[in-house]
Amino acid sequence: MKRRTFLGAAMSAPMLSTAAWSQEPLSMWARSDVANVIRPFVDTFNAKGKTQIKLDIVVAREMVQKYAAAAAARSAPDFLLLDLIYTPAFASADQLQDLSPWTKEMPYFESLSPAHRKLGELDGKLYGLPFSAEGSVLVYNKKLFREAGLDPEKPPKNWGEITDAAVKIRALGGDRYGYYVPGAGAAAFRFLPVVWANGGEVLSADGKKATIDSPQLREAIGFYRDLWAKKVMPESVVADTGPDALTGFAAGRVGMTITGAFAIGVLTTRYPDVEFGVTPIPGKNGGFASFAGGDNIVVSRGTRRLPAIREFVDFAYSLEGQSLLGKYGSLPVRGDIAAAALKENDPRYLTVAEAVNKGGRTPRSSVYNDLFNSLNGPWVTLHQRAIFGNDVDGAIAQAQATFQRIINEAN
Amino acid sequence: MASPAAPATRKETWKEKLRRSLRGEGGVVGQERWLGVLLILPALVLLTAFFLVPLVMVGWMSLHNWPLLGRPRFIGLRNYATMLTDTGFWHALWFSAKYTIVVTIAIFAVAFPLAFFVERPRPFVGFFRTAFFLPVVLGLGSASLLWVWLSNVDFGLFSPALMKLGLIDRPVSWLMQPTSAFISIIVMVVWKASGTSIVLLLTGLQAIPPELKEAASIDGARGWQRFRYITFPLIRRTFALALILSVTHSVLAFDQFYIITAGGPDNSMLSAVYWIMNTSFVSFKLGYGAALSIALLALLVLLSIVQLYLLRTKEGQ
Amino acid sequence: MAASRRSPFALDFAQQCLGFVIAALFLAPLAWTALSSLKPAAEAALPPLPPWPSRITYETYQSLDGFGSGLVTHTANSLFVALGTVGLSGVVSLLAGYGFSRFHFPLKNVIFVLIISTMMIPYQSLLTPLFLILSWIGLSNSLVGLVLVYATLQLPFSVFMMRNAFEAVPREIDEAARIDGCGGVRILTRIMFPLVAPGIITVSIFAFLASWNEFLAALILLTDNKLFTLPILVTAVRSGQFGTVDWGAVQAGVTLMMMPCLLLFLLLQRYYMRGLTAGAVK
Repeated sequence: MKRRTFLGAAMSAPMLSTAAWSQEPLSMWARSDVANVIRPFVDTFNAKGKTQIKLDIVVAREMVQKYAAAAAARSAPDFLLLDLIYTPAFASADQLQDLSPWTKEMPYFESLSPAHRKLGELDGKLYGLPFSAEGSVLVYNKKLFREAGLDPEKPPKNWGEITDAAVKIRALGGDRYGYYVPGAGAAAFRFLPVVWANGGEVLSADGKKATIDSPQLREAIGFYRDLWAKKVMPESVVADTGPDALTGFAAGRVGMTITGAFAIGVLTTRYPDVEFGVTPIPGKNGGFASFAGGDNIVVSRGTRRLPAIREFVDFAYSLEGQSLLGKYGSLPVRGDIAAAALKENDPRYLTVAEAVNKGGRTPRSSVYNDLFNSLNGPWVTLHQRAIFGNDVDGAIAQAQATFQRIINEAN
Repeated sequence: MASPAAPATRKETWKEKLRRSLRGEGGVVGQERWLGVLLILPALVLLTAFFLVPLVMVGWMSLHNWPLLGRPRFIGLRNYATMLTDTGFWHALWFSAKYTIVVTIAIFAVAFPLAFFVERPRPFVGFFRTAFFLPVVLGLGSASLLWVWLSNVDFGLFSPALMKLGLIDRPVSWLMQPTSAFISIIVMVVWKASGTSIVLLLTGLQAIPPELKEAASIDGARGWQRFRYITFPLIRRTFALALILSVTHSVLAFDQFYIITAGGPDNSMLSAVYWIMNTSFVSFKLGYGAALSIALLALLVLLSIVQLYLLRTKEGQ
Repeated sequence: MAASRRSPFALDFAQQCLGFVIAALFLAPLAWTALSSLKPAAEAALPPLPPWPSRITYETYQSLDGFGSGLVTHTANSLFVALGTVGLSGVVSLLAGYGFSRFHFPLKNVIFVLIISTMMIPYQSLLTPLFLILSWIGLSNSLVGLVLVYATLQLPFSVFMMRNAFEAVPREIDEAARIDGCGGVRILTRIMFPLVAPGIITVSIFAFLASWNEFLAALILLTDNKLFTLPILVTAVRSGQFGTVDWGAVQAGVTLMMMPCLLLFLLLQRYYMRGLTAGAVK
């Protein structure tokens, strides 16, 4: 008797609950940085009339603590779009659902962004699937190039050309500057690719060893120190932690800066007067690299809504889903249909997509936040001290020591 | 004062007081005692739920390796041992100490003269008092946001204004160098907060009986002497209060560094609370952050006690 | 009068002038931001020289309205939190002040000192456990939860103030009422309430200013963007959107945040000062 009830309950429960679940919307979080993309994306998905999603936008830098608090209170969302750099930290803290069973049913799996997949892996399982991509590139003001006697269709292909162009633009005088990067923040997205493009590496492959002090990094710092010494960057770069990263460029006062695909949308819609080109971030003697950013789809461990979430994932990987990303200013993650998805887009998006596909990398570390993101962390400090300060050797030695200490403490 | 009997006497009175309070003596009808308890109960419930319990939890968390994500693990006093070698925390404490000393001196350097200024009857004295005090009612967050804008090298006020006046020939960003950024924040806090000290000192000055002041000036006591031997001892209490308020706020300073320079430039403005916030919410080490909080809390209580002791008023003064 | 009061006219005049200069320095930043917030958006993005707008517009407020869920929502959130804190801490401290002043019960003084001494503890260090506790009682990410926290933070000061307010009322008054047959609660509502009203105004002003301006706890305890209070909204505006900072919107936000504080203070200055100096006199 008892046993039959138990069996009966076990059999009917999923069916009953599926019915109930389809009424109740899926809860989903995304960070504020991608609100412009994810809002219309979810609206389109909801309009299909099947599974419904309730989307909450969380301020980007509070995503981790808010998720943690919600998890502690058992009110975590069913799934979320997580800045991909956090995927290792979430996965190793045992918060996420293994999604590897799904991948076997995805014929296109191998064409999904490698940087995203790499950060989603842990101990042979896959805790994150790519949602959207972003990458750092060099943007340059074609009008200022022309005025300075440079060819606007020939963007710089190496550091020497950048310096040369920056000096010429600064020579136009007034408040026009050749180059701009925030000095006191946002330095992973912007400065790591400069080091990478020069063949440098700041972490070992397993993320256990810091390799800051390398000739390649020293050269990259030397490159920026030279730009600073030549006064082609405005004074305000030193104190900018990121809020003003695009201000000067958008006002047409800055010749070149490093930014991402998001800026293409911002510039074309809000600052249509700025005539700009996009090119990959070059190395000292050519080559290029890009910081592959973006979001992973991760699923809270313990959610009972896996089939519904799968519906969303399939939609995201359809041509329609991938095109929506392009439409709202992000980049698709399926390499095999990226060009088709970006067909309608400004061609400059494709430049970013290719820079990411061919030269995109992301540091993998469970203490990424400490190392690279924190405005007071060793990477930002190194950037600020070594480029704008007087003691390059001291700054590098200190960064190397701090990196290693933080990594060691985490293990 | 130093007589051996004194401590014993004091102890007895304290014990007596406690006993009396325990018995609930005081001449009110016995059954109304419960009404008294009932009246303070809501306050006790709130304070217990949202103050005492969290406080105990902080203590408890400080004994754990408590990551933001994942399971906490009991590690005894190891967080406190880590603290001893955490140079970052000591730097932050040192910065907070430096900031506290500089800003407190700056505030009183401004507040004392202005308090004397508004104490004397003069035309528009009400306007002066209001003007000096007005910035106090702003939130520190609002004031910091305001300052960020005014200090912005391109779109703010200070640098462009000085350029127009011809005092500088190229834009100067005060938030760029550690020293100038530090001074800039000190100026902001002095502007925002000295009103409190002005009013407290003013209250003290007004409480001085006019006869005393007159007697002093007849005696020929002048300027500094009069201040040192007559005025200051009489406003000791209000000075102590203003000092403790200023020191406590300064030791706990966070908002202004977070909003204005994000701890920079070059990490030169990481205060103790900032370091704790970073530990808890950037490095996600809640347990260690809790241990640091406990340390800061103990330090603060100690500081208040020391200040109260140094500025204690002797009976009859 | 004393010798110092008979300073020569020239010196007095110089002092007076200096006073006006200093007062102008204290007031300038407030005036500057309020005036700049009325500039057309394009003008507000330039250095504020001169401070006055070429023509008065509300463009900066409109662009601020474009952030988050709109100005009405966020202002309403801030108001709800501030008024909720005023109400809750007011009622609780009124009762407690009466209890501490007029009743005797075990450990009364010990409890009172304990309550006051919580002022020394930085609440910043309690935010993480506070979040967990609010989650347990289902009030995380809610304005009501925030009100509970703010009201509690306000209690040590409010209870201290209210006890003083009751102490200032002569005991003969309630003794007379008692003889007339009034009970404890009736004495409070009928007789005491009007007499301690100034104290209530004082604690209300402090509660309003503290909760209206509070930044850190709101930042940590609220998840939902729709619930953000003004300080959080404006800090987000200042953090930049799309790689640029809308300084006009920042000025509008700062002005909007400071205006109620300034008005409240100017209207009720007397009561505010009473609160500030209470500790000094007692």
